[in-house]
Amino acid sequence: MPDSNVTTEMGGATARPPIALGLALTRLLPRTSESGLKTAHFRKPWIAAGLLAPQLLILLFFFFIPSYKALSLAFVQVDPFGAREIFVGFENFSRLLMSPDYQRSAFFTLWFTAVQAFVTIALAMLFAFATDFVIRGRGIYKSVILMPYAIAPVISGVLWAFLFNPAVGPMAQFIHSLGLPWDPNRRPFDAQMLVIVATVWKHICYDYIFLVAALLAVPHSLLEAAKLDGARPVRRFFTISLPLITPTIFFLIVMNVVYGLFETFGIIDAVTKGGPAGATNTLVYKVFQDGFVQLNLGSSAAQSVILMIVAILFTVLQFRALERKVNYQV
Amino acid sequence: MKREVHQRRRHRASNKILAAGVAVSLLSLQMAGSAFAQERVKVEWWHALGGRLGDIVAELVTDFNASQDKYELVATHKGNYEENMAAMVAAYRVGQQPTLIQAAERGFMTMLNSGAVIPVPELMEQQGYDIDWDDFVAPVSGFFLVDGVPAALPFNSSTPIFWYNGDMFKQAGFDAPGETWQDVEKQLYAIKEQGISSCSMALANDFFWSLIENYSAIHDQPYGTLANGFDGLATEFVFNKSPLVVGQLERLAKWMDGGVLQIAGQGLSPEQLFTSGTCATYVASTAAHAGISSTAPFAWSATYLPHEEGIEPKNSTIGGGALWVLKGEKDEEYAGAAAFIDYVASPEVQAWWSSQTGYVPVTNAAYDMLKADGYFEENPTREIAILQLGRGEPTENSRGFRFGNHNQSMQILVEEIQGVWTGQQTAQQALDNAAARGNEILRQYEQLHAGQ
Amino acid sequence: MIERNLGLTIFCHAVLLLGAAAVCLPLYFAFVAGSLTLQEVQQTPFPWVPGTHFFDNIVSAWNQGNFSRLYFNSLVVTIGIVIGKLSISLIAAFAITYFRFPFRMTAFWLIFVSLMLPVEVRIIPTYEAVADAGAPLRWLFSATGLSGLIETVSGYRIEAALQWNMINSYGGLILPLIASASATFLFRQFFLTVPEELCEAARLDGAGPVKFFFDILLPLSRANIAALSIILFLFGWNQYLWPLLFTTDDSMATAILGLKDLVPVADTAPAWNIAMAAAFFVMLPPAVIILVMQRWFTKGLVDSGK
Repeated sequence: MPDSNVTTEMGGATARPPIALGLALTRLLPRTSESGLKTAHFRKPWIAAGLLAPQLLILLFFFFIPSYKALSLAFVQVDPFGAREIFVGFENFSRLLMSPDYQRSAFFTLWFTAVQAFVTIALAMLFAFATDFVIRGRGIYKSVILMPYAIAPVISGVLWAFLFNPAVGPMAQFIHSLGLPWDPNRRPFDAQMLVIVATVWKHICYDYIFLVAALLAVPHSLLEAAKLDGARPVRRFFTISLPLITPTIFFLIVMNVVYGLFETFGIIDAVTKGGPAGATNTLVYKVFQDGFVQLNLGSSAAQSVILMIVAILFTVLQFRALERKVNYQV
Repeated sequence: MKREVHQRRRHRASNKILAAGVAVSLLSLQMAGSAFAQERVKVEWWHALGGRLGDIVAELVTDFNASQDKYELVATHKGNYEENMAAMVAAYRVGQQPTLIQAAERGFMTMLNSGAVIPVPELMEQQGYDIDWDDFVAPVSGFFLVDGVPAALPFNSSTPIFWYNGDMFKQAGFDAPGETWQDVEKQLYAIKEQGISSCSMALANDFFWSLIENYSAIHDQPYGTLANGFDGLATEFVFNKSPLVVGQLERLAKWMDGGVLQIAGQGLSPEQLFTSGTCATYVASTAAHAGISSTAPFAWSATYLPHEEGIEPKNSTIGGGALWVLKGEKDEEYAGAAAFIDYVASPEVQAWWSSQTGYVPVTNAAYDMLKADGYFEENPTREIAILQLGRGEPTENSRGFRFGNHNQSMQILVEEIQGVWTGQQTAQQALDNAAARGNEILRQYEQLHAGQ
Repeated sequence: MIERNLGLTIFCHAVLLLGAAAVCLPLYFAFVAGSLTLQEVQQTPFPWVPGTHFFDNIVSAWNQGNFSRLYFNSLVVTIGIVIGKLSISLIAAFAITYFRFPFRMTAFWLIFVSLMLPVEVRIIPTYEAVADAGAPLRWLFSATGLSGLIETVSGYRIEAALQWNMINSYGGLILPLIASASATFLFRQFFLTVPEELCEAARLDGAGPVKFFFDILLPLSRANIAALSIILFLFGWNQYLWPLLFTTDDSMATAILGLKDLVPVADTAPAWNIAMAAAFFVMLPPAVIILVMQRWFTKGLVDSGK
């Protein structure tokens, strides 16, 4: 059975599936639909409004209004107590965009986010596939792999830094015993690797749990059909399961990019503090440092604005480029 | 906005009165016996001391509350200095601030120019306390002086001293560390070369304070113009123009490359490198006494910071926190705050606090009291900080530092110096960059605070 | 599905064992550190074998903090976050995928954009919002002149009624943390994969949206709800910065804040053994949730719906 037969199902183009598989799939052929709307849907705008209201209200009060206040500081210089404020126009932005440190930070952020997202999803996928395949001990594996996620970040960050500490860390000693240099305090590349390893570790459980849930939802009938056609487990995974879990993968790609761009400052703060010499200073860690630690609210707001614009562009791009390939209609 | 804050505060106050009324009527329904305890005025204080220091603070507060029956001081640990500051700023903007706040010395200008504080002497005068500000140890209170009186009460003040492992020095054939950097250098290399220790010195996380800022104070080198900022907001960083400071950084870089100086990095406190016997020396705050004395299993000792050969050393400067009084509270809360400040500044409490924590006593009276008790004969390393702070006549360069948003320029300095550790730039380049970027921050601060 | 593929089975077990070991490595060292004495925990190199003081350290850690109270607060806040976020995002995702109405995409993007600025980055204004949640409404009333109207008509000052200070309340701890789109986005992704026939069939049967949601959609979402509950429980339980800034009353603090208090800071004895031991009893509730909820993952959910 050639791969292309099944994978074309993703795009919804005409397919020539073998008979057994075809029987299972024909009634599930994708239909045209407005983006993100079910073909079979309701038309009761008032109910929809009621369902959306709680989320939108909470967002209004606790996201949009505070965010607007935070971001509006991008055009002023302000004393943290709010006593003094001068309008500076785009000065906060031009200062940032001209600064070589900021450019370097932006560059690192981009490749860090990409590598982190890719490695996390790939590894989580491998674990999820293996979990789905094995029969014995599945529950134990799931629990054990999820367990580290339960430990408080205030502790796990310190542990990571400690494990790889060149002076005393057991992992650092292991690396040294292989004859390799390792010193994240003085070698920027080591520090960047450490940050990537720590963030992947932190986020792998997240991706893993949703991939496991998604694989569980793959219809048995399809897998059985493919099996009858003689497809082996790995082939079945790539031809049946993978296309069917693309919505989850798409979700995870978006969430990993958001995670990389926005939510990594805690772990960076614990593991490298953005150093050495700014080598692991991501854009959001800078926002956090300048806004929360240094109380430089104007510059921090300007950075948030830039970061949000980048993130929104990124996301729109992902929706445009990737969501088309996502196979929603099983 | 201001008016809104006041309205809200009034509203809050009326709520409190209402609540108090309910409480009182409930109480009268029961027995009037415990009513006295209810009438105590609560005074909020947010601080940044955790761990063992947090326990000592808790003890201090309990003792204060037991010493009188009018006020109840409620101390809350709000995380580290930055978290404490951010929490206070956020709370102040909505009128929820505490009466007292502990802020780090680097935040002096931020606090002073915030428009949110009542200078401590003003409060004490209003509340009828007579405090002899002249009795405060000069280099301690000098940091906080505005018009001759300190704007905040120096609370936990320390200064860096030179810690060493006596066993390792003996083993290398030295009685004690040398007095000059040149002598110390020879000793550190000897300890390394004789294989006594793989690391001769642990680099403290606040090395910018102990090894750069205090270095320039002790050697009477200008760190910034206009008397390190004491004479005006137009100050500029000039530490990069001092050959001594540049030489100091070059020396540290050389030591690091030679394996003499070790960065602890994240996940490990540099103090641990010293107390575990890995590193032979450690330049850090006198407040490390608590940790080192309880954990170092060897003959540890401490001495003065080294100085350059042929230069008469000046006093070092302080670091640590001070107590600030915030505006916008009720008069009875201020009375409680004043009572607490008076309590903290008293010689007995100062002597107790200093001996418990390792911070220096802030008044001469407390120092004399400890001396009279023979405390320093038993604990000679406890006196080093005080003697070092009081050494010689303070100059414009050793009085302290007064730079707007100093924590921002400090962060930049650290980042640039790390560029020396990684080999990306020379010491001179790093300090030049740090001064240039720091000056931008000073200019922004000057622009925002013009006319203050 | 019975199938013999010995090579692959061994490979999968090997991958899982390796993965489990790798992710659990920090956990193991936390345990080792938690089982040492203060002197031992400082030694270098750090030991690979645990000591014997684990339970002593647990006891002294528990006694140092007011953990029973903190535990209770953490549970209330975490359960509030899990239930609150699950329910608002389930119905919001339902509305967005199953209803045609004007501004549907606008609503989706409005929700979605809230992923783009974490609470820690906008923490000071968020604090303002929680300390005075009525402010926007007061502004609205006074800007539209409504408040004056109401006052003249009824003599009632509307501004006075719109004062909600949520400082030191569970609501204030919970609400800002559920103001984000991740769960809505997840359910949207899941709902889009639910077979169209189900809704068509339900409508042929005359079922309205409410019945369809409760009878069909919700049971189908079981695995995703379980997965998300785990994630949200851990997210809520492990919150640090927001509760720290936000709670000024020690009796409102959470277990993580208690734990952080035990973490050594500069100038004090580095009692990592106590902090690491405490980390274990603080991670107990999330660990239980993982064990319980992972049982909800059962195979064949979608099949059964067809």
